[in-house]
Amino acid sequence: MKPPALLQMTAPLREDFDIVYHDIGSSDVAPRVALVAGIHGDELNGVFVLARLAAFLKSVCEGQQPGQRLCERVVVIPAVNVLGVNTRSRRWPFDGTDINRMFPGYAAGETTQRIAHAVLERTRPAYFRIDIHSSNLDFEELPQVRLYEPNDSERRHAREFGLTAVVERRMNTVFTSTIGHAWRECGGENFVIQAGQAGVLQPGHCERLFRALVTFLHRNGILQGAPLSHDDEDVHYFGLQQTFPLISESAGFFVSRLGVGHWLQAGDLIGQVYDGFHGDLRLDVRAPIGGLLSGIRRQPLLFEGDLIARIQSRHSVPEGVDTYLHGHGQ
Amino acid sequence: MHIEHDSVLSLQLPYRERLELRRTVVHGRPGPKVAVVAGVHGDELEGLYVCHRLIEWLQGVAATHPEAVRGRVEFYPALNPLGIDTLQRFVPVFDEDLNRNFPGHREGLLPQRLADAVMRQLADAALVIDIHASNIFLREIPQVRINEEFASRLVPLAQQMNIDVIWLHGSLTVLEATIAHSLNSRGVPCLVVEMGVGMRITPSFTEQMLTGILRVWQTLGVLAPEIELPALTHTPLLADGRNVHYLNAETSGLFIPEVEHWSAVRQGQLLGSIVSAHEGGTRSEVRSPVDGVLFTLREYPVVYEGSLMARIMAYEAAAQP
Repeated sequence: MKPPALLQMTAPLREDFDIVYHDIGSSDVAPRVALVAGIHGDELNGVFVLARLAAFLKSVCEGQQPGQRLCERVVVIPAVNVLGVNTRSRRWPFDGTDINRMFPGYAAGETTQRIAHAVLERTRPAYFRIDIHSSNLDFEELPQVRLYEPNDSERRHAREFGLTAVVERRMNTVFTSTIGHAWRECGGENFVIQAGQAGVLQPGHCERLFRALVTFLHRNGILQGAPLSHDDEDVHYFGLQQTFPLISESAGFFVSRLGVGHWLQAGDLIGQVYDGFHGDLRLDVRAPIGGLLSGIRRQPLLFEGDLIARIQSRHSVPEGVDTYLHGHGQ
Repeated sequence: MHIEHDSVLSLQLPYRERLELRRTVVHGRPGPKVAVVAGVHGDELEGLYVCHRLIEWLQGVAATHPEAVRGRVEFYPALNPLGIDTLQRFVPVFDEDLNRNFPGHREGLLPQRLADAVMRQLADAALVIDIHASNIFLREIPQVRINEEFASRLVPLAQQMNIDVIWLHGSLTVLEATIAHSLNSRGVPCLVVEMGVGMRITPSFTEQMLTGILRVWQTLGVLAPEIELPALTHTPLLADGRNVHYLNAETSGLFIPEVEHWSAVRQGQLLGSIVSAHEGGTRSEVRSPVDGVLFTLREYPVVYEGSLMARIMAYEAAAQP
């Protein structure tokens, strides 16, 4: 059966194309949850996990998961930037616009405004809305929930994904054109999840993300039945002043063996910076404070001022440049 | 008058090289400071050539009138130097639109450091002119775009700029991160010029802007009043939300225009067609919704549904400013 499409469009030379989605559960009621990934065509973890989640939910509906029952309608859009996924392009490949800077969109506007409008219309009726990202090609994020100026229900429910970190961030001017911001105008509860790194598929992060989404559906009565796993992670809530960005003041080659999710002590070695031409060690990069390593640089080429890592602190840290950095990757 | 070249930001790159944000400064007798910035987007070249022509003109006038320049004229022809040198619109590596990173941050990522460095230099300018060249898709008649918030201060300056259109637009939160908004909101007047098309230089537009910029500088006292300038050749029409009509493609294909850029059009007139490389005939006819003047025309033929093909300013609501 042909899946439903939220948008159909002609193309200049190739055949017409569409943006399809999964509409699972009773079509008599409004969807309770809408899940979106692949607004950026190079962020593959979310695309893969949402396709797998749709397969799982459909198998639940078909009675192939004993003891599991789907009680609500769920809309799943694995990839918004379809041509971007196929051509490995983060942005809309034709004109280079970032679809996540085109919201709320406009039905009679530019191509990507039309796409944004159609995605917003399809997801608007849901109460819970979840937008999944995977940073960018350079940086790896521990799977985490991001909240932007949340309300109390969002703060409470963000913990129900069971992911190690819930991180609260400030809005900035550029963010007013994202889907996350457009959703806020629609009410309900809205979450952004960051998981892993763009350009690659990371099975460990994918498994954790899949489990998090299913856990959230269970805890909110959308799925009924035994939970998939009982080994809950500790959930830590980090407020506005508990994110420390570690910035490099030196250029060169950055090398690190650390994985995301480590709890660091102040002074722990994070990596090294080498001179690109002479090859000598420029500096050891050490954690200035203790905390959870929630993200780390994977791109070795380092400019002055580049982000090396983010550390989530149990204590307040001075709010600094991070407000200017957090737009990168979303 | 003498000319100096320097760098307002120097950053180490991963392998050996450095990125320099280069500036040319024309020093005259004591007077106000003005600046021209260009190349915020690495694929927009019109402003670079305007910088060249202005510097050349100032050198020429100094040869006969050494006291002609009163003040300090700063040129930043390439705010996105790596983008210009590698033919990329956005800041290379960071894939960021530099004009969404203002006012920037001294300790931020490279795009924010570029923004911060230039903001610091321009803090005391009497006027900044930020020259854009549309993008590779659309050709623009020389125009100044002004956020309504700053209209009362900027429109009188723009009227002397020898342009064809002044376009007043509403406030958009996302545009608060542009250099123009950042400067204007700090009290430094900044005019945004749009002219021509990406990846090209349009010499007739260059000369038109040269005249306009020199006029405004003379009004501000940067050029001595006795210096004779080229005559004004253009008077702007006023565009705003009420009289600008957007023509977006109804279908995808190749857009073949039937009219010249900056021509008068009548309601119902055929402006162009969208055709297919796979078949004869026309997929979609593009007709003018109003009597007016075509001030934006698509240059790049391939269109998707929604691609902008033209903008028309209707005569009806348009008025002389």
